[in-house]
Amino acid sequence: MATRTLNPAASQSPLLGAVLTLLGFAVLVYFIASWWNHSNPASSGQKLLIGVGFLLGALGVARVANYLSRVKTNPLVGFIPAGLTLLLVVSTIEALLRAYQVPAGLIPTPTRVLATLWEVREVLLKDAAQTVLLEALVGYLIGCSLGVLMALLVSRFVFLERGLLPYATAFSSIPIVALAPVLVKMIGLDWPSKAVIVAVTVFFPVVVNTFRGLTEVSPLSLELMRSYAASEAQGYRWLRLPNALPFIFNALKLGTTLAMIGAIVGEFFGADGKGLGFRIQIEAGRFGFDIVWSAIIIASIVGIAWYNLVTWLERQFTGWHVSFRE
Amino acid sequence: MVFQAGTVALKEASLEIGSGEFISLIGPSGCGKTTLLRLLADLIQPTSGAIRVGGKTPQEARKSRAYGYVFQAPTLMEWRTVLQNVMLPLEVMGFSPTERRSRAEKMLTLVGLEKFAKNYPWQLSGGMQQRVSIARALAFDPQLLFMDEPFGALDEITRENLNLELLRLWRETRKTIIFVTHSIPEAVFLSTRIVVMTPRPGKIETVIPVDLPQPRGFETRETARFFEIATQVREALRKGHGFEVQE
Amino acid sequence: MTRNLVPMLVVALVVVALYYPLMLLANVPVAQQALDNGAALECKTTVACASSLRSPVLPAPMQLWTGFRSLVLPLTAPTSILPNAWATAGNTLLGLLLATLVGIFFAIGIVASRAFERSLLPWVVASQTVPIIALAPMLVVVLGQYGVQGALPKAIIAAFVAFFPITIGVAKGLRSPDPLALELMKTYNASDQQTYLKLRFPASVPYLFTAFKVAITAALIGAIVAEISTVGFQQGLGRMLFENSRASDVVSIWVIMLSSALLGILLVALVGWVERWVTPWQRAR
Repeated sequence: MATRTLNPAASQSPLLGAVLTLLGFAVLVYFIASWWNHSNPASSGQKLLIGVGFLLGALGVARVANYLSRVKTNPLVGFIPAGLTLLLVVSTIEALLRAYQVPAGLIPTPTRVLATLWEVREVLLKDAAQTVLLEALVGYLIGCSLGVLMALLVSRFVFLERGLLPYATAFSSIPIVALAPVLVKMIGLDWPSKAVIVAVTVFFPVVVNTFRGLTEVSPLSLELMRSYAASEAQGYRWLRLPNALPFIFNALKLGTTLAMIGAIVGEFFGADGKGLGFRIQIEAGRFGFDIVWSAIIIASIVGIAWYNLVTWLERQFTGWHVSFRE
Repeated sequence: MVFQAGTVALKEASLEIGSGEFISLIGPSGCGKTTLLRLLADLIQPTSGAIRVGGKTPQEARKSRAYGYVFQAPTLMEWRTVLQNVMLPLEVMGFSPTERRSRAEKMLTLVGLEKFAKNYPWQLSGGMQQRVSIARALAFDPQLLFMDEPFGALDEITRENLNLELLRLWRETRKTIIFVTHSIPEAVFLSTRIVVMTPRPGKIETVIPVDLPQPRGFETRETARFFEIATQVREALRKGHGFEVQE
Repeated sequence: MTRNLVPMLVVALVVVALYYPLMLLANVPVAQQALDNGAALECKTTVACASSLRSPVLPAPMQLWTGFRSLVLPLTAPTSILPNAWATAGNTLLGLLLATLVGIFFAIGIVASRAFERSLLPWVVASQTVPIIALAPMLVVVLGQYGVQGALPKAIIAAFVAFFPITIGVAKGLRSPDPLALELMKTYNASDQQTYLKLRFPASVPYLFTAFKVAITAALIGAIVAEISTVGFQQGLGRMLFENSRASDVVSIWVIMLSSALLGILLVALVGWVERWVTPWQRAR
């Protein structure tokens, strides 16, 4: 109830917010359009105009967000302020880059990045297929399955718990960048080396999390299973594994990010001429930043989509969990 | 009083409380006794009706720091030691460092926890934690003390001990105490008057004066008069259909 | 911890015992091939060659030891591991500091203003699922163009990678106080500022440290990648890694990897140690 400081001015209608937002965007778009073909820096008055446009937009978006946070809406409508914010920031950046005539070789304008993204889409899609489908996904699946198996073993045998788990915890704090060159040298420039890097990086968090899920079972539930004279396998089947599912999914979600990072960073240390990481490394070296940004956009979209896919699976499998109530 | 969203949580709550009294609000869950206390403390606002706390509105009373509040749970700050927890309100209210320390130490002695000043809350039992929270509420010497089922989560034996201790504190400090409970023996043992409340809509059923002699002790619970008043309260609760299962 | 010691030692011994045959198994085909091609090697048998290859698949223990000695000694030489690890640790911690400042600022915004939360939080969350590290090579170049040099660009990249877990952690921590505790502050008529100082900030310290443990590993990765991408003569494990990787000095890469691993573990341990010192109220687990 009283968990946050309420804005007393929050009772205004959203209309003013919408008008301000539109006004802000109109100013920014007007400037971008008027400066489209110029190659000289804008005057300070025009720079001030950009600032005014951004401020108007920000105030407007804040009002819209304030309004939407007080009315219950579906998630799609609730996303409007975030979408507007992104648009506002991107158009302001576009306007500023144009006003100051920052060389495209240094920071390309967002429109230029989008144009480049469209131009080189075929190359980038091939890169993405290599990085995501072969390296990240294969490595992820291997690493996660091995991780769950290892956790099952470790939770079953106390000796392994004491002997192996401390190492697993320590190993998860190893920087993958240091691991990558070694594995690339060991296995080769082709995609399997990156898949192994990914497998190694996702393995440890999966072990640690799954183990916690398998062992942090309420003592009362364990006694209940005991009163049923349940066998050990039944205990795992009916109690420990379901209990571990939320923990496993947490690790799987974390793993999606680690997998993308592992694959991309792995390619920094050698690839066979394909891959998003390879592309980023090469193009950053020769100031092809529009391509770098395009590759990053693709990597981000894949990353977000993958994460949400796992979240969706989580919802299907663990809909009963506390975090999904309400 | 009509509560937000049109739900009638409290209706016809008319009551005057004199200085130095010990008033218990008793009733089943959902009868609005906690709501009434929170209204008095300005933690929520009534949609209609008028409340005066010592001649001021609840908001004015809160702003002038006129009352101490003891919650159902001890709500101690786990990163502060026991002594630092008692000093918290004094820091917020801008007392000088030396004053803070001397007052907090005095309060800890009053609740008998001076030996635990340097301990962290998790090292104390539930009953001891609640005593710290009472010391904290008294630290800035408010004339009024609001207590919302402070002993509800404790076991019967600890609860009876703390009841006795609370009576001693009340006698020594001459505070006005408004005490929410759903235990009949607790209300009878502690109060000078018992306000019986009934649910749907929440209203005050009756007010029962308690004429048990002071000072009260363990033996008070065994007197015939104690049972008479307890029966009286029980019947009042039943009359308002308060025995029905709520929520 | 002590009851783990014996099993941990046993596991370590098993790994060490398995390592030598595994190393031979991996290196023998390479060595055999080299011998068949008639390469001028100083060794006679395949097994001897397998443990002294210049580019082994797995380096032999003796090779690791010699490599380690040559990279560590003399201790303070600019090309030895210690000063480079020190530089990397410095970049990482500076980055963590920057990330903490920015993270706390954002977290307060998220907790204090619904508008801020609605418009920015989705992007902060989404950015957790994005391989931010991909920005590093480009950021180094851009920052360099604008004259940001020395430790700062590396720290900025480290901060960039570490900032998100800290923001989320602190925001969670600022929201963690019990509603009753917030009402308690209200009964004292405490100002917003006092509520933050006395309640929300202390309550978020344990969350901050949990976030640190994730963030410092991320920051270390960021610092190393930034060092790899920086052109110049600055020190750092990333620099060493890059140079030896280009020179295909496999044994050195192994030694640097093990040192970076050790540095990562030490940094996390450092966070844990500071945590125990700063939050004495936390129950010993």
